[in-house]
Amino acid sequence: MARSKIKQNSGVGMATSRRVTLNPKVARRSFLKLSVATAALTGVAMTTKMTTKVQAAGKKVPYAGSKIVRTICTYCAVGCGVEAEVHNGVWVRQEIASDHPVSNGAHCCKGAGAIDMVTSPKRLKNPMKKVGGKWTNISWDQAIKEIGDKLLSIRENDGPDALHFNGSAKVSTEMAYQHRKFAAFWGTNNVDHQARI
Amino acid sequence: MTNSLNDMRHAKSLIFIGSNAPEAHPVSMQHILHAKEKNNAPIIVVDPRRTKLAAKASDYVRIRPGTDAAFMMGLVHVIIKNGWEDKEFIRTRVAGFEEMAKVAETYTPEEVENITGIPVEQTLRVAKTLAKNRPTSLTWCMGGTQHSIGSSITRSFCILQLVLGNMGKSGGGTNIFRGHDNVQGSTDMCILSHSLPAYYGLSDGAWKHWCRVWGVEYEWMVGRFKEKKWMNKKGFTLSRWYEGVLQTEKIHQYTPIKAMIQWGCGSNSNSQYARVKQAYDKLDLLVVVDPFPTMTAAACESDNIYLLPSSSQYETSGSVTSTSRQIQWRQKVVDPIHNCKDDYQIMELLVKKLGFADEFYKNIKQVPEDITLELGRGSLTIGYNGQTPERIKKHMENWHTFDIDDLQAKGGPCDGEYYGLPWPCWTEDHPGTPILYDVSKPVAKGGLPFRNRFGVEKTYDASGRSEDLLAAEGVYNPGSEVEGGYPEFKDVVPGTNWKTDLSQKTIKEAIAKGMAPFGNARARCVVWNFPDQVPIHREPLHSPRPDLIAKYPTYKDQQDHFRVDTRFESEQDPELVKEFPFVLTTGRMVEHMGAGAETRSNQYLAELQPEMYAEVNPRLANDLGVRDGEMIWISSPEGSKIKVKAFLTERVDTKTIFLPYHFAGILQGKSYVENYPEGTAPFVSGESGNTVTNYGYDIITQIQATKDGLCKVAKA
Repeated sequence: MARSKIKQNSGVGMATSRRVTLNPKVARRSFLKLSVATAALTGVAMTTKMTTKVQAAGKKVPYAGSKIVRTICTYCAVGCGVEAEVHNGVWVRQEIASDHPVSNGAHCCKGAGAIDMVTSPKRLKNPMKKVGGKWTNISWDQAIKEIGDKLLSIRENDGPDALHFNGSAKVSTEMAYQHRKFAAFWGTNNVDHQARI
Repeated sequence: MTNSLNDMRHAKSLIFIGSNAPEAHPVSMQHILHAKEKNNAPIIVVDPRRTKLAAKASDYVRIRPGTDAAFMMGLVHVIIKNGWEDKEFIRTRVAGFEEMAKVAETYTPEEVENITGIPVEQTLRVAKTLAKNRPTSLTWCMGGTQHSIGSSITRSFCILQLVLGNMGKSGGGTNIFRGHDNVQGSTDMCILSHSLPAYYGLSDGAWKHWCRVWGVEYEWMVGRFKEKKWMNKKGFTLSRWYEGVLQTEKIHQYTPIKAMIQWGCGSNSNSQYARVKQAYDKLDLLVVVDPFPTMTAAACESDNIYLLPSSSQYETSGSVTSTSRQIQWRQKVVDPIHNCKDDYQIMELLVKKLGFADEFYKNIKQVPEDITLELGRGSLTIGYNGQTPERIKKHMENWHTFDIDDLQAKGGPCDGEYYGLPWPCWTEDHPGTPILYDVSKPVAKGGLPFRNRFGVEKTYDASGRSEDLLAAEGVYNPGSEVEGGYPEFKDVVPGTNWKTDLSQKTIKEAIAKGMAPFGNARARCVVWNFPDQVPIHREPLHSPRPDLIAKYPTYKDQQDHFRVDTRFESEQDPELVKEFPFVLTTGRMVEHMGAGAETRSNQYLAELQPEMYAEVNPRLANDLGVRDGEMIWISSPEGSKIKVKAFLTERVDTKTIFLPYHFAGILQGKSYVENYPEGTAPFVSGESGNTVTNYGYDIITQIQATKDGLCKVAKA
């Protein structure tokens, strides 16, 4: 698909994107640079032209006052290291983790674009509910009140097993533990997650 | 994984079955290819599809989907016939070998060819390759599990490794590559309808254990349930929760399901997705907690739905467990963006509103570290107690001190520890267990025997033979007080065992004696609590080989299988293949992840892989009159269909259709893209492969059988 087509599709969200990345093009260049390093692994074909473009970007200089945060990629269970450059509370660039004992400086195409998990314009921005078939923004207070009242009423009328809780393999272990604990404290074993499938 | 990705560097041969690492686990390839280049290790890839991994194979074995157990038993047959089994390992550390070998006798290479389509010569060649190049590392993924006999297939993999003596050895092992980034951690925490955290199950003893950990009265917990019996009964699973809503199949609980919370779970990874969508519309309440709206927001067309924007995992912190059982600390990069909240905050709001916050947060002041400590105190079965937040964070700061070949820190602040303190990590001084069941190291230094879990003696139903289930004399970890097998530790603190003694004195005493808290036993080839005590082949529910159904029929129908009736025998119709002649199988692509809500919302990845397709063999396409790039309808026996682009390739054979399952947004030819909240529809959408994956579930786990269904194909 042509790049221009994607930009058209994402027109609504680009303003948001700019708010969180100082310059989306920087992220793009960083992605290309990483992609070259990992092209052999991922099978992503890189043209000579693209490679030249990366070299033209030159050696990057850290943003003044930025810090590097070591974290772990959120895609697959290999558990690759990611080094995130954070400037004024904004994730501006990512770098491979050459010291990481498992990923050893490698990334796949997904990990190389990890930053987009935060910068994607497609993220949900507010709590929402559907009213008359239309999506409507609501406050957190309203959302929790309405959801909570409804859950308590279902619990009262139908019993705790009228709820099914589908938890996640994409949260921290602490949160996964709380998913299971929540079901127990609510009073049901109707709880499951992606490991089942 | 019993071993680790890095440890695969030491393999002398590797076999992958239903695993496509370059697409699903790309970065693991550097370790796999290291073994190939450095050790000249042959790579055997068993898959219905000539995958990217198959391109790196020294021997590619094309197998008919769902027949893996027959191939494994065939390899075992050839190995035993040639005397290539590891006789000493079997004599001292394996149980039920004779009974298993008796079953393997029937899986001759000729019969294996009949069932699997693998030529006799290739079965013989693979068996010889494995026998002559030990240790072998064996890997499987969902290609091995998502079958109605998935639990037998995975056991047959383990049996092959036991017969070859490849367990507990560097370069060997059963190395299941887990999918999602923290699916190992979330499985260990048992967000599962059949167990409390750390595989304690649902018995009264399990509930009492966790109530002690949580600091709540057991009686209070009983009062939270409708009646006590519902505490001990397995709940609905992710595979079939929607049957609890739709009630077209008989359910076994006092109420239908009326509300659903879906927290970080893309719904289009469910098979029979059209039915999932119907259930969404019927629910009284549907709450989606996710950084992205997911297909659920578009598929659900009634007003019952709420979307709560959780932050991504880069906007919060906590531990994650990799496929190698390594625990890493995922540090927060930035604060939650937009009006998102992190998972812990959302959970706290809900729990407070629902009125059990005092009990829920009794031990939790500092989030998430106090949760790490609480879950560790309770998860003694799998040794999550030694990995304190401080230790995990120290590993993150000292990546460079760990050796890439054995993952042990050489000097520095983590000297002698294994990276990520792989579980079990029995105490706060323990270095982690890099290879499970390795008797060459002391337990205190990361060694372990096989666990004693199923008694100390067994008389087999099939043979009438009795066998000691503990390891033989002479098998023990260096420094062990007992120089042979021993049962699990109990009554060190009266009335408790190593799993329930919260003081952890039992565990410490065992380690001080040089012994494993869980005993020293044999690995079982016979699982007497399963319907098939030894793995055998059974035809897929929807079989393309009606001639084999009589000889290899599926199971009896199951009543109350995770609270819903599940069909086996009555679903296996030999006539079905006449109308649905092609085998349907699914898999991943490197650019996307799971249900794709994240990756299709990622501008780079959407550009790299923008379109749903079906892989069709050119010969089949020509017979059907379909040209490359033309649209086709694929229909399932359940009556659902998808319209996708035909991608002509010899990766698949003429009888098989392959679908990637990451796409969503289009359902049975109809676009739902307009249903997303404004501006949040992913960059790319497509039909969900799972709309046409068939009915069918594993007999034990109820995992959905997405890899061996049937379909028909027509030009659109």
